[in-house]
Amino acid sequence: MSLAVLDRPAAPRRRLTDPAVWQAAVRSPLPCTVMFSVAAVLLVTGWVPVTAPAAAGAGLVVAVAATATAWGVRRAPAAVRLAVPVAHLAAIALLYAGTASATVLFLLLSPLWVLASHPTRAGVPLAAGGTAVVLLVPHLMGEAFAAATPLRGALVLGPLVAAVGSFAVNENYRRVATQSRDIARLQREQAALLEQVQSRADELDTASRILAARAQTMTSVIDAVTQQSIIGTDRDGTIRVWNPGAERMLGLLRPDVVRQRSILEFHDPEELAAAAASTGSTSPLDALVHVARQEGSDVRDWTYVAADGTPRTVSVAITPRADDRGVHAGWNFVGTDMTETRATERMKDQFVSLISHELRTPLSSILGYLELVMDDEDSPLTDEQRQYLSTVERNAQRLLRLVGDLLFTAQVESGRFTLQPADVDLAAVVRAAEETARVAAAGAGVEIVVDVPADGLVVSGDAVRLGQACDNLVSNAVKFTPSGGQVRLSLRRSWQSEDGALTDDERPGTVPVALLSVADTGMGIPAGEQGELFTRFFRSSTARRNAVPGVGLGLTITKAITTAHGGALDLVSAEGQGTTFTMTLPVGAVS
Amino acid sequence: MDPAQHSTDDARFRVLVADDEDDIRDLVTLAVRKAGCDVVRSVPDGAEALVAARAELPDLAVLDVSMPGATGLEVCTALREDPATAGIRILLLSAGASLDEVARGLSAGADAYLAKPFTIAGLVHQVRSLTAGVPA
Repeated sequence: MSLAVLDRPAAPRRRLTDPAVWQAAVRSPLPCTVMFSVAAVLLVTGWVPVTAPAAAGAGLVVAVAATATAWGVRRAPAAVRLAVPVAHLAAIALLYAGTASATVLFLLLSPLWVLASHPTRAGVPLAAGGTAVVLLVPHLMGEAFAAATPLRGALVLGPLVAAVGSFAVNENYRRVATQSRDIARLQREQAALLEQVQSRADELDTASRILAARAQTMTSVIDAVTQQSIIGTDRDGTIRVWNPGAERMLGLLRPDVVRQRSILEFHDPEELAAAAASTGSTSPLDALVHVARQEGSDVRDWTYVAADGTPRTVSVAITPRADDRGVHAGWNFVGTDMTETRATERMKDQFVSLISHELRTPLSSILGYLELVMDDEDSPLTDEQRQYLSTVERNAQRLLRLVGDLLFTAQVESGRFTLQPADVDLAAVVRAAEETARVAAAGAGVEIVVDVPADGLVVSGDAVRLGQACDNLVSNAVKFTPSGGQVRLSLRRSWQSEDGALTDDERPGTVPVALLSVADTGMGIPAGEQGELFTRFFRSSTARRNAVPGVGLGLTITKAITTAHGGALDLVSAEGQGTTFTMTLPVGAVS
Repeated sequence: MDPAQHSTDDARFRVLVADDEDDIRDLVTLAVRKAGCDVVRSVPDGAEALVAARAELPDLAVLDVSMPGATGLEVCTALREDPATAGIRILLLSAGASLDEVARGLSAGADAYLAKPFTIAGLVHQVRSLTAGVPA
């Protein structure tokens, strides 16, 4: 970028003469030198006859002295410089007296010019007075002048002409001098201004180069994104940015879209209408950016419609875009095509639902008939038969739990997992978990210690899900603790500040929470694996090495339940020493 | 069997069983009998269940949710819409134990809901409590 005015070819400008230069020229002693030199030659050669040699000689001497002084005092103050024309006037008077010739009066032009062009008006009276004195010379000299004596009127008009003439010249001279000074000042200012403009233009040029380089970098980055659509729009939805990812996803090239189409043309109109209805938006664009406008950003699935009409499920991140002054200028839409992913997720959901249904039905038969056989009072079983059938039942129950866990995990992942909140006494939940695990723990030689408040600890939550979470933690602890070890279930009230720090007593800015801990003296979890522990189907190396049964869903489910209650699930573990899981649950209401 | 409520054979409660799984249908039939009731019809299909219910007017219908012909929920709704069958008690059985399904079952007009796999004892208890208030 550069200033247009600077790009124009410079018009040939005539530089005005420096006022000091032309003033010096005006004041130059050259004219008087020439005039008096010529006068001297005329006198010497006899062109102008000398009538009184003493006066003429004195006049020439004074003229030469004054002229020489004029050359010497060029730089002297204005007042001093007045002496030169006055001396010339005196010389002219003497020459007039010495020649009695009116020709000499032409010499008046030289001092009168100098006096008239004097910077002050002081020259004007001097010019008039001097002229009068010169014109009076014949009257002083008497008959020597005879016929050359000027008329009386000339005595009056001569000085008057000198006064008016020199006044006019002086006024004009001074005006021109002032204007010339002004012009010179303006020229200096203009030159300084031009210099500033030029340097400003250079800075702008540098800045614009930097900006252009940055823009180029951004453009090349945006253009390098071919798997995500990056679409930028004005506030009215008109598309301004359209990257190769958008070209690929929606099947239209940049020149066919930018400034010509609206983002709305690529959205499913029915989906936008539904969104507008649910958010109370006045226009489809409002519906599209509703959440981003309120919260600063929004990521969700939208249906894009490609140029050939195919719908694409796209996860779109919407953010407002500001211009260089921070004023809202439009919207950015960064989209990832999730069509295949979502289809796969739906298939997986359907598959899990189908499988769990298909598995439950035969399990219902197995468990139902087992119950009939085992509870048949008419034909009681032998102990051996009862033991075998118990094994069948236990395994059928295990299979059933696995099916339930799988289905539950699928529900959590698809977001179809809901809670039925009610007041739940966590102390009772912990005691029930201990009861459930008691038989298995006794069989494995693990002691379970329960430490819960006698008066209970009530939280708002889903009793069934909290029980499931607690059961998972306790059964895990028992499974991972070798014979002779201990599992401690403890429950206590605490207060949590916004940054997550816990305190034992209530303080300002803290909320009451329930801390449910399950600590074992088991084999522990290697530090490197703790981060993956809540990933489904993850099994720690200690679990695999020690052949602890399980499929790796329990902690995923427990974590999901805790999170759904607005709580957190943390663990502390040291390999070979044990693991402590702590559920932090808010005591307040769960939505 | 509760002798106080089911004292004579001709006063026994009449139950319709519908489930597309033969084994489950037999199991439910056994449980219903254990509860002291008679199974008047046992059908493998939703549409047949509706026909049988209208023909037999049983005291209780035990319906599986996912059946061919018509789902348990559809049968449930149809029975409730017809004044002749609106009084039949309905127990739904389903393999999908989500809260969502329970809510849909109950809003379709079912009196009770039992998730598969159910225990015989649980089913017997449900059948008894559902037939307890029905005039013989």
